[in-house]
Amino acid sequence: MRCYGLTIPGSDHRFITPTLPPPSLSFRPTTIPMTRISFGSSFPKLRATFNDGVVAEERSFYDLLGIPESGSLMDIKSAYKQLARKYHPDVSPPDRVEEYTKRFIQVQEAYETLSDPSRRIMYDRDMARGIHLAFNARKCYNHSDQVSEQKGEWKSRWQSQLDGLKRRSDSKVMDGAENTSWAARIRQQRGGL
Amino acid sequence: MAEREPAYTVASDSETTGEEKSSPLPEIAIGIDIGTSQCSVAVWNGSEVELLKNKRNQKLMKSFVTFKDEAPSGGVTSQFSHEHEMLFGDTIFNMKRLIGRVDTDPVVHASKNLPFLVQTLDIGVRPFIAALVNNVWRSTTPEEVLAMFLVELRLMTETHLKRPIRNVVLTVPVSFSRFQLTRLERACAMAGLHVLRLMPEPTAVALLYGQQQQKASQETMGSGSEKIALIFNMGAGYCDVAVTATAGGVSQIKALAGSTIGGEDLLQNMMRHLLPDSENIFKRHGVEEIKSMALLRVATQDAIHQLSTQSSVQVDVDLGNSLKICKVVDRAEFEEVNKEVFEKCESLIIQCLHDAKVEVGDINDNLVTNLCKITEVYKGINPLEGAVCGAAMEGAVASGISDPFGNLDLLTIQATPLAIGIRADGNKFVPVIPRNTTMPARKDLLFTTIHDNQTEALILVYEGEGKKAEENHLLGYFKIMGIPAAPKGVPEISVCMDIDAANVLRVLTGVVMPGSRITVVPVMEVRMPMVDDGHGWCAEALNRTHGATMDLVTLKKA
Repeated sequence: MRCYGLTIPGSDHRFITPTLPPPSLSFRPTTIPMTRISFGSSFPKLRATFNDGVVAEERSFYDLLGIPESGSLMDIKSAYKQLARKYHPDVSPPDRVEEYTKRFIQVQEAYETLSDPSRRIMYDRDMARGIHLAFNARKCYNHSDQVSEQKGEWKSRWQSQLDGLKRRSDSKVMDGAENTSWAARIRQQRGGL
Repeated sequence: MAEREPAYTVASDSETTGEEKSSPLPEIAIGIDIGTSQCSVAVWNGSEVELLKNKRNQKLMKSFVTFKDEAPSGGVTSQFSHEHEMLFGDTIFNMKRLIGRVDTDPVVHASKNLPFLVQTLDIGVRPFIAALVNNVWRSTTPEEVLAMFLVELRLMTETHLKRPIRNVVLTVPVSFSRFQLTRLERACAMAGLHVLRLMPEPTAVALLYGQQQQKASQETMGSGSEKIALIFNMGAGYCDVAVTATAGGVSQIKALAGSTIGGEDLLQNMMRHLLPDSENIFKRHGVEEIKSMALLRVATQDAIHQLSTQSSVQVDVDLGNSLKICKVVDRAEFEEVNKEVFEKCESLIIQCLHDAKVEVGDINDNLVTNLCKITEVYKGINPLEGAVCGAAMEGAVASGISDPFGNLDLLTIQATPLAIGIRADGNKFVPVIPRNTTMPARKDLLFTTIHDNQTEALILVYEGEGKKAEENHLLGYFKIMGIPAAPKGVPEISVCMDIDAANVLRVLTGVVMPGSRITVVPVMEVRMPMVDDGHGWCAEALNRTHGATMDLVTLKKA
């Protein structure tokens, strides 16, 4: 079975894809490595999807929901429910089901992003930087961004803790070995070896 | 709605196809709740939902088909004078527990304790199911039995409504795989019914709840603020949970969770408690054993019913063959032997709340249907009728019926009950559409090769919750060919999954080389599920065949 095996790019360190940059805060969406294939290329029916996507790229999630950027969670929810009643395939006019379904998926994505406070903050930040992301691409980008964000946050916290520990142990060393913790003594011994 | 799937037609039931093709008036789809043990039908009568009754004035009809007479007859038209008669081996029931399952499934194995024959060979094929008629085991299938039952239901409804019935909304367990759903659709097709919608049971209840909330807020001129409800539904065969947020007639399913535990498990655990060696004793499935089994089953059922009102019960039953049971059982024992079932219920609720990102304090109403005891329960819905009424309402909404009073101004936004993904990273199941994704949906994920110059990739599409691929239901498989020769990890294989308005799942794949945006091979578009019966068999065969030919396929140098 190995011959057919697949991995997610970047999910296995042995197979880091050259196209996936290491997660960092300088990760620029203009170099999104996640190439989006236009599945519409070979299917006229699906081409519309892709074209819709392109159009939607230029519209922000706020535009999609028809609310101002200052809109509250209540505004987002009620706008979403209103649009769902329009675009959901169960209620849309029979001749426009396909088109409206795509709309609905976009509205859904906008709603999911903006109704989650942390994702909304990130989206707002991207908007401020003038970044607009294609639909679907958002999730991947978001994910790696989130990971790098968490990593960055964690690293700085860890660094400050380390610094604090170091300061304390330094001062304690100066104070004399009596007050030091067991771990610190071991560290000193190891250092001495 | 005009773009709905064409009617599912099966070659063998040609007499049902081609009937009334053009009806100028919108035909209202009926709602059917096929329970593991009971079944009901409801329809929107123009102003409200009406539950239909059979000739014996029953709204809830037992789900079974008996083969004891010349022509098989089901629970809609026939009735046993005594409970025992259903258990003599000539009657098939619990179809909903067996449909679309293979003989390696634990649920199928548990069904071997039923009086009719469920034979397993444990290789992942469909089990052999048969009814004992005049000392002959006559084979049948769950779909066939269900179809016979549905024909009776259809005739009953047609007599009542004085018009032919074609479209139905069916409620289904949350844990049903797409493969099982196609089996249900096939049973309906065999009965001349077209499935307009399949609704997970608690979402049908959610729709009804949403309608009641909207009505209430209209009457009080309220603001119609969002209300969150937890719906818990446990029947004989399945346990389902849903969290719904509803406002202004729109019910959004936040999360779903389901499992194959139910009253049948409570009953079987209790039977084992009363007669520990029961499985071995009844294994032979002779006429005498079946009779003893029937007696034990009925005695256990009675005992459980009595335990819901009294603290202990005396079980006194002569099973014949010098097997006698004389035991006092109390409620604590009942709870102890069924501890796992109750724990599973609890974990489903916790999982559902967690997935919905809802705290217990946020919940406005708890809806409990079928059997259960909970302190604070929403009283607006009859527990045994909620699902079928919701289905009937959905039937009216989906048929495009409008109500001048706005009673049908409803929308349920469904979510996927199970994750759908592919086998990757060794033997892992990697979801592309996670569980509880709002439908319709379209998601994609990138994969890559694991060998240098790998030119082909096998896509195995699974549905389920298991971490390992084989713990999930196989929906289908296909091969991507013509991947350009490149070091491992370079070609990008995009797997896109699309669930459209009609709940049809399509898997699309393409291959892109870095720096390009155009797929180098034609896109593959595959409709799922494509496997016919069972997966254990076929996944194993795929493993065996392609595990051995790996050099031939992948190490081909360009």
